Order: sequence, then C-alpha cells, then structure tokens
Amino acid sequence: MSGDHIHAEPTGFLRKHVFSVDHKVIAKQFMWFGLVWLLIGGVMAMMIRWQLANPGTPVPLLGKLLYPRGDGSVPPDGYNTLFTMHGTIMIFLGLTPLLIGCFGNFCIPLMIGARDMIFPLLNMLSFWTVVLGGLVGFYSLFVPLGAAEGGWTAYPTLSGNIGTPGSGETLWAIAVFLIGASSIMGGINYITTIVRLRAPGMTWGRLPLTIWGLFFTAILNVLFLPVIGSAMILMVLDRSFGTSFYVPATLNQTGGGDPILYQHLFWIFGHPEVYILILPAWGIISDLLSFFARKPAFAYRVTVGAMAAVTILSAVVYGHHMFTTGMTAMLGESFMLLTMIISVPGEILFFNWLHTLWRGNLRFTTPMLFSMGVIFVFGLGGLTGIYLATIGTDIYLHDTYFVVGHFHLTMAASSLFGAFAGTYFWFPKLFGRMMSEKLGKLHFWTTIIPLTIVFCTMFISGYAGMPRRYYNHTDLPFLRSIQHLNVITSVAAFFLGGAQLIFAFNFIRSRWWGAKAGVNPWQVGTLEWTTPSPPPHHNFDTIPTVVTGPHEYSHPALKDRDWLPQTENLPVA
Amino acid sequence: MKPRLLRPASALLLLAGLAAPLLAGGGQDPPHGAAPPAAPAQPAPQAGVPAHAESLSSAATEGGEEPAHGAAAPAGPHARAPLHVPLRITEPARVVSPGEEYVDSLAGKQPGRFRKDGEHWVDNTGEFAWDEDEEIYWQTISADQLTRGRQDFVQFCSSCHGLEGDGYGRSAQHLRPPPRSFQQSTFKFTKVPSDKLPNDDAIITLVRHGLDGTPMYKWAVSEERLHDIVQYIKSLSPEGSGWRDPTNEIGAVVETAPDPWTDESAAIAAGEAAYHRNQCYGCHPAYVTAPRLNEIRGVDPTTAYGADLTYPKLKKDSSYEVLGYKVAILPPDFTWQTMRYSADARETYQTIASGIGGAGMPTWKGAMPDKDLWAIAHYVRHLTDTWKDKPGRAAFMAGLRKAP
Amino acid sequence: MNARPSGRSLRARRPAWLASLAALLALACAPALSAQVVADRWGPNPPASAEGHRVDTLFWLITTMISASFVIVLLLLLIPVLRDRARPGHRASYDHGSSLHDKRFTAIVSVIVFIVLDASVLYITMRDLREVVWNIPRPGGNTYQVEVLAQQWAWNFRVPGPDGRFGTSDDIVTINALTLPVDRPAVFNLASKDVIHSFYVPDMRVKRDANPGAINQVWFQPAVTGNYDILCAELCGYAHYQMHGTLAVLPQAEFEAWQQEAGALALAAWDGNDSEANWAWEWKENTP
Repeated sequence: MSGDHIHAEPTGFLRKHVFSVDHKVIAKQFMWFGLVWLLIGGVMAMMIRWQLANPGTPVPLLGKLLYPRGDGSVPPDGYNTLFTMHGTIMIFLGLTPLLIGCFGNFCIPLMIGARDMIFPLLNMLSFWTVVLGGLVGFYSLFVPLGAAEGGWTAYPTLSGNIGTPGSGETLWAIAVFLIGASSIMGGINYITTIVRLRAPGMTWGRLPLTIWGLFFTAILNVLFLPVIGSAMILMVLDRSFGTSFYVPATLNQTGGGDPILYQHLFWIFGHPEVYILILPAWGIISDLLSFFARKPAFAYRVTVGAMAAVTILSAVVYGHHMFTTGMTAMLGESFMLLTMIISVPGEILFFNWLHTLWRGNLRFTTPMLFSMGVIFVFGLGGLTGIYLATIGTDIYLHDTYFVVGHFHLTMAASSLFGAFAGTYFWFPKLFGRMMSEKLGKLHFWTTIIPLTIVFCTMFISGYAGMPRRYYNHTDLPFLRSIQHLNVITSVAAFFLGGAQLIFAFNFIRSRWWGAKAGVNPWQVGTLEWTTPSPPPHHNFDTIPTVVTGPHEYSHPALKDRDWLPQTENLPVA
Repeated sequence: MKPRLLRPASALLLLAGLAAPLLAGGGQDPPHGAAPPAAPAQPAPQAGVPAHAESLSSAATEGGEEPAHGAAAPAGPHARAPLHVPLRITEPARVVSPGEEYVDSLAGKQPGRFRKDGEHWVDNTGEFAWDEDEEIYWQTISADQLTRGRQDFVQFCSSCHGLEGDGYGRSAQHLRPPPRSFQQSTFKFTKVPSDKLPNDDAIITLVRHGLDGTPMYKWAVSEERLHDIVQYIKSLSPEGSGWRDPTNEIGAVVETAPDPWTDESAAIAAGEAAYHRNQCYGCHPAYVTAPRLNEIRGVDPTTAYGADLTYPKLKKDSSYEVLGYKVAILPPDFTWQTMRYSADARETYQTIASGIGGAGMPTWKGAMPDKDLWAIAHYVRHLTDTWKDKPGRAAFMAGLRKAP
Repeated sequence: MNARPSGRSLRARRPAWLASLAALLALACAPALSAQVVADRWGPNPPASAEGHRVDTLFWLITTMISASFVIVLLLLLIPVLRDRARPGHRASYDHGSSLHDKRFTAIVSVIVFIVLDASVLYITMRDLREVVWNIPRPGGNTYQVEVLAQQWAWNFRVPGPDGRFGTSDDIVTINALTLPVDRPAVFNLASKDVIHSFYVPDMRVKRDANPGAINQVWFQPAVTGNYDILCAELCGYAHYQMHGTLAVLPQAEFEAWQQEAGALALAAWDGNDSEANWAWEWKENTP
C-alpha cells in the first residue's frame, strides 16, 4: 500500500461535512442517523406499550396528532403499522447504522492503522443509500392506506396484494432493499479494508476483537443481504407486476407459487441478521472487558474461533423460525440439532468473558458496566432460546410473548448495550470530549433494571399463552385475566424509554460542552488511542508498525503502568 | 459488440427479462386439481325430512371429480387480487337523503347553513339539495369524503365484502351466510322495516354491535372513520337502485313500543301461544308437541304435521343473490343457533318487528299487536337462555318429537 | 505466561469445593422454585390433551437447567465484581488463557454443558416428536377428522356428520365453534382461504400454521371435557386479535347426541344447488 501518501483535506462545507469520503465523518453521519431512528422506533414502542396497557385510550401528547380521525387512540390498523415499523426501524435504520455503520466505519481504519477505508467513495454511497432507504420508508407512512402492516417479517400472502392492498408494503420492500444494498456496500468495504490495509505488523492474531466481530459481520452481510434483497424483489414483482412467486393456487386465486418460499428466503437472511447485529457487540465487549479488567482477553484465538463457528453455522439454523409451518420431520429435527449446536460457541464466548474478568483489576467505568450488562442480558436471552430451539416447547411458545422477550433480550438489549458501551468508549475519540461518567452510570442502572422487568414479564405472559401482535388482549377472558402483566410491562417500558433521555442529554451536552479528552483517556493499547482526539483527517502522521497484540495488560514486566500500546514491545523482564 | 451499443443492448435485455414474467403471469390457467381445497362434485338433491344423510355419488366421495359448476374453480370473480386498487374517488355521489323531516330538523339545528327558498331549504354547503321533479332532497357526498371512506372500506371491510362492495371478497367464498353485498342494498339486521333503506345511525349501530355467531365482530373503528365508510357504502348502490333510486325512502330503527310485560313467566306463556298461533313454525321449529300445537291453534286434535315440525325449514325464496344464485337461508333454531342481533328481549322485538330484509322474515310490526310481539320476544329469549348449549336440550327436543 | 493461583492443591481443598457445590445447587433451586410460583399463578391451564403433559415436562426440565446455569453465570459475574475491583496495590493476573490446560478445560466444559443442557433435551424431545407430534393417526377407526379452513378473521370447521364420511350432505360446518368427543384422537387438516393463519389451542399444547394453497396436519387427543380457546397465532391482518374460536370437548354420549342433532340441522340446511357454499377437499395425509 502506498503508505505515507497523505491526501489533502477537503475544503468547502459540502465536501467536508455532507458528501465526505472521510470514514470518520461518515461514521458520525451514521451515528446521528442511527440515533434519530432509534428515537423514532423507541417512541413507536412506547405507543405500542401504551395501547396494550390501556386499550382504546387516547395516546398522550401524540395521539391526536398521529391519529386525527378518531379520539387519538391507536386504531387496529395503526397498531399493526406501529409494530411493523418499530421492528423495521430498530433493526435496519437504528441498530445497523449505529453498530455497523458508525463503529465499523470509525474503528476499522483507526484500529488497523490505515488512513481510511479502501473504497472511500463506496463508503459515502453506502451512507446515502441508507438515507434513501430511510426516506422511502418514511414516505410510506403517508400514502393512502398507510405504511406496511404485515410485521417486519412481512409474510405473504398477508404482505401480497391479497392481504395488503396499496403501496405501503411495496414501498417498505423497496426501502428494505435499499438499506440492504447499503449494508452490502459497507460489508464489501470492511472485508477488503481489513484484509488489505492492515498496518505492518498487524497480523490477524493481533487484531482487536472488535475488528474480528465487524469482519464476521461484514461477511454475513455480504453473503445474506442479497437473499433478502431477492426476497424483496420477488415481493415487489408479485405486488406490482403480476407475478406469482408467493401466490399459491387456492380456491379464489390463481398462482403457482408458494408463500413458504418467502419464509425460507427471509429467514435464510433473517437468522444471520441477528448474528450480524450481535457480532459487533460481541467483538466490542470482548475488547472492553479486557481493557477494563486490565487483563488479556482470555483465549483470544478460541474467541475468534467461536465467532467464526457462529458465522458459519448461522445459515443452517434458520428453520427454527418455521417449526410450525408444517415442515417435514427430518428438516425440523435437523434444524433443531443445528440450533442446539450453534449455542455451544456462544457458551464458549461466555466462558471466555467471565474468565477475562476473573482475577482482573476491574475498573467500573460506564463502558465496562454496559459490557457486563451484555453478559447479563445475553445470558438471560440466550438461555431462554433453548425453549425455542426445542420443537416440543417451541410449538407452544411460537408467536407468543415468550419469543418477543427472547429476541429483545438477545438481539435488541445485547446489541444496544454493545452500542452504548462503544458509544461511551469511543466518544472521546470521535468528538474529543468525555461523556459524563455520573450520567452514564445513571443511564446504565435506569436502563438495565426496567429492561429486565419488561422482557422477563414477557416470558411469563408468553408462557401463559399470550400471543404476539395482538392489538388488544382484553377481548378474550383468559387474556383479560393476565392483563396486569401487560400493565407491568408497559410501566417498566415507560421507565426504560425515559431513561434513554438521560443518554440523549448526556450525548448532546457532552458533544459540545463536555470535558476535553486527552489522547488516551482509558489507558488502552489499541492503535486509535495513539492519535489525537479527534484524529486529524489523515488519522496517522506515519503509519504505525505493530509489534504486540491489543490485550497486553498487567504484564508483570510492566512497572509504572499496566497497559502497552500495540506499537511498543514488551519490556524485557 | 461496439461499446456504445453495449449499454442500450443490456438495457433492452433487462427490460425483456422483466417483461417476461408480466406476460407469463397474466394469462395463467388455473391448475386443475393441483392444490387443495377443490370443490366437491354436484351433490344429490336434499331430502325434505332430515332423518338420514343423503349420500352423494361415489365419485364425489373420491373427491377427484371435476366440479360441475364454474364458480368454485379458481377463475372466480377474484381469481387474482388486483395489482392496483383504486383508492381515490374524484366524483361526488348523489344519494337519497333521510327525507324532508330530517332536513327540516337539521335546518333548525344549524340555522346559518340553510336558507328558505319557497317551501324548501337551500343548503349553503351544498350537501342537501331539493329536486323539484323527484320531490325529494338529495344528499351529495363529497369526493374527499368518498375517498376517505373508500380507503377505510378497503382497509377494514374489503376482505369479506369485496373491493367493490359486492359481497365477494377474497375471504368470502364458501361463507354461509354470505357477507353482505352493498350493491344489492338489502340489509337483514339493521332493524329498519324491510321496505325502507336503513339510515346512517342504524348501520353504524349494527357495525358497533356486530352480528353474533358470524365473522362480523364488534369492530374497533373510530366514529369518524365509520361515518365515512357508511357514506361510501351508500354510494355503492348501482344507478337507479338502492340509495340512488329516488323512490326509495330511508327509515329509522322500527318504532319500539315499551315492553308491556312485567311478569316474565306470563310473557313466556303468552309468547308460546302467539308464536305457534302465528305459525312461526312455518319456517322456524315448533317448540311444543303436536297435540299442544293443535290446542293452541284451536284445530282438530288429530291434525298431523311433517317430521320436520321441530326442525327449521330451508327457505329458498330469499331475494339475495351471491354470484347470481339466490342463497337459501335456514331460519334459526333458537335452542341451537346463535341469533345475530337479539341479545335481549328488546333487540329480539326489534328484529321481529322490522323483519329481516331479503330473507323471508316479514316485517311483523303492524301485522300483530305489539303485546304479542313482545311476548314472542320474551319467549324466544327464554328458549335460547334455557336450552342453547345446555345439557338438557337433547331431552327437551326428544320430548317434543316423541310420537304420542 | 500463566499466573495460576497458588496455594493448596485441589485435593486439599476438597471440603471447600463440596461445600461450594452444595451451596450452588441450593441456590440454583431458588429460581426453579420461584418459577413454580410463577407457573402456579400465571401458567397455562393443565394440559387437556392426552400427550400435552410432555410439553410441560420438557418445559420444567429446561427451566431447571437454565435456572441453574444462570445462577452459575451470575455468581461468576458477581465474584469478580466484589473481589477484583481496581484498588491501589491490586493488580490483575496476566493470563492469556492460551495454555493447553485452558484449552482442554474449555473443551471439557463445553462438552459437559452441551450434554447437560442440550443433549438431554434433544433426547427427550426427539422421543416426544416421534411418538406423538410426527405420529399422526390415520383416518378410520377411532380417529375423528376435522377440516379447518381459516380465513380473515374466523375459523371454519367441517366435520363429517353422523354418517362418518366427508363430502356428504350431513357434513357439519360451523364458524368459530368446534365440538370434539373426549378420548378420541382428533386429526386436523388445516388450510386457509387467504393469508397465513395459525391454529393454536393452548390448553391442548398444539399449534400449526394454516397456509393458503397447502394443507397441514396436526393432531391431539382431548382428554378432559370442557371448553377451551382456539386462537390465531400468525399475524393475519388488523383483526388478528379478534380471531378466536371455542372448542367444546364433550363426553361420548353427549357428543353423539350433538352429532345427531347437528347432522340433522346440516341436512336441513343443505342446498344441493348452492355448490359454492360447499367446501371440502380430499383428505390429505402428509405424514411429516
């Protein structure tokens, strides 16, 4: 690589801040984009919880504004739109841009010792494509008959013309396609950058685990987003061009297709998608636990191997979402066995994390709290996955609130905690200022306690048999008798939502008025902490030469400090 | 190929590739017997006496025969959900208004809106207008309101009632009783006497109440949206019929006299007598033994009746059509089937009094005294409350059917 | 370089180990016991089908095991929090965990965890699947067949009338109300008119999707008379929450009386010319 050729910094507002090809600017663009959509998706969640706890009651503040043709309560069609868009927004427009778009873009070049991504223009395109996708999705809220209502899973024939006339669902499919295209672009960029632009001495064995997590995520993105892209194309063709990919021949319609085809296509992407969302978080906390325990990451190679195993296996477990569709015994049992097997690398990761903490020298900073929080919530969520992997119990629990609790703990809470940990950790490097530790710790505790209440109560509701995606649980006597569980969940959810305002306040205040950060406030050895906070446009004055791994903490030979930058050798003992 | 031609050529190829499924998908023949469910063959005619099952030809039970009729094959009215559903209406609709009295009272309540022109009112908003020739007020439903109503109708109602309100939605096939077609302008349970069209309130109340025992539930749709949906439904009448027929009148829920009965058991006894005296058993079951029936009717005690006396009789004289076929109705057996809109004596009175449009249940208001109507209402509710889904019903009916 | 904790050998610390293990097991019972409390208060009704208890047994097995696992994880998380806080003079142990001993330990723990948590569950559920779930009774004999046609937003049920045959004029068609005889296996053919629905009877511990264009089979044997709920468990439109039916399980004699009367009324309602009203299909036996 032509190492030391430094490009001049761009001038002009548009080139510097809007259409920038600088990975750090694009990372911030992704970050703001993701945070705004997380807010929108979060407000939708609050509205869902309001309707479930107080069916038919006008939503405070927003009700009359959003549902003017009524008393301001969420109508049943509006409710279906809420949970559809909540899921779509949180996954595609919130977590993906934040966790993968922001941290991938920011951390990869800096941590591997490069000046930028290998395809900077593609990088910029990937951001603007996701903006376009977001705009299409946002626009779909305002078309006649409203936005998509078929769930984020959008099974046909409900999501076909039979179940959902109008253009909302078509626009939704187009938006998902665009967002997928953006992630594919990002994935190509990340993989190639990590393979080709590592600084001299940055061997695969010296890569921070954050990079490994992002690397595997990028591989999954590149492999499986095209699958959902094709699923969306087929849906648009069915809806708008008269094809019959998902339209079966039944009593009252012609067609030669199969709605189950969509389910296969969707979940071949959908299951790797949950690993796409969790692998960056796993990578980040694998590093942060080591950094803040002041101890090497336990069994680095085994951790990488576990992440690789999960990546490889993720494609062959997807059928556990489809146990009730009527699949054959052999297929069902195979998926069940493979799903059990994929839990083993996950367990190994746990083992390594706990062992990293064991006999460490623990610094309970906010990033550390959130990293340990991931262990807690992913432990809860992951263990409850066993019920859902087992066909016998899954048949009872499928499409109940048990599943909702499970995937929110594993996918939403764990990824979000990873994102929070990363945000608090890299904020100084991104913006040159420190976030408030006090507010950060307050944010952590006011988040994790209500969160646990919300989703563990859902386990109880689901076990009682409460189905998901119901507008109102007070129709049926047996659901009416457990309605108080909904109230508990909702009240805790309102606290959870309110707690995020602490984060928002902390973030915005620190961004412009926070205490100035030094070069390496956390005393950590990875390469990004050798540059100024924030780094200059060219990242490194000279490309560093790496000589040690990223987790050299508390080596006995280190006398006056307990950390070692990757560019320095261990002192001779 | 020259580079300059490469791009247009690939564009053309791509277009051809996209067009191919369009051309292929449009003209597909329905697969024959490929995927269940498929309709059974034409069954044998029904026996009059429900004593034993009529079996069909053996070919039918094998299930492989080609249906002898066209309707159940996939090439029905909605062989394919349309690619584009029209959701905007640009023309307003002119429908029959609730009448002079209604407009007069409206003018009283909103004086600024109306001014008198001779004998009749002129509406400044243009919604109501007097027609000299027909001598009625027309109501104009604006295109905007129709558009809103249309969109909500498609959202909430079209899966059963059809995208054009013809009662043949994608979920309507095989449903008996069938979902209402709004193009026929006959309503069964609005409690408005059958010779009149229901007013807005009657329809709204029906949607709010639902029809028990059918997939027409109590729908959670807001007042404003429901009001717009009702206006849209009115506009679905074909030209010259229903709400577009100036000779049709709009009526309200049948005048409900107060319940004269204070003693429930007296009401029930009188009801039993009135029910059987008025020959309700001509369609519905009789709920007394044959001797008792003769006693009530005051006829020769040896008069015999058919074996179907205590069963409902299928009525084929409804005027309501589904796909061109006049659907037969089985009048309910009150001890077995769920009455649609008769949860208490008052609602039952209203249903009997107003009749059930297009279904062979006449408007009984005026045909018998109100006291009798109320008595029958009490009696029918008594039958349902005492025997429906109760373990003693079988013995009760067996007792009625025992040969003397 | 590994810094192994120094001190007494494992053998010498055996009493401490045993005591800790005992304490851990006792602690692990706590969540399982509280789970019992939860189940009593909020759990589903006892299973009303002959084989439904298998689901509950599996449920309890998994609950016990994961409760114990979670307690262990929490302890392993809490001990460093309490013991290894950063403080002056305290230093972390430098251990990459890459020694052969560590790798062996990881492998052994993983295998044990898999055998305890997963393999046991796999064995039991495979047995249940083969004996019950995949083992759908054939038509004929004691089997009671039901055709279910789901639609937006109701359940259409069709059962053979007193003549015991499908496709005859005494077939009993009901909307949202199903009546079954007790102690006879009931086999269902599930299909849909429009979108995907899912036939869910919580009290019988049964759920299967009703797809348009294909027929799924499911079965259970009602074992307790009574009334039960049938719910839709696949999003099917805005009224998905209103789509529920009732299942009435009757004793044999009452069921026969019901069947006679329902069949008679079905005959009375039969209109031979209204072929569009009559739905039935060739019974599909797709053994999974």
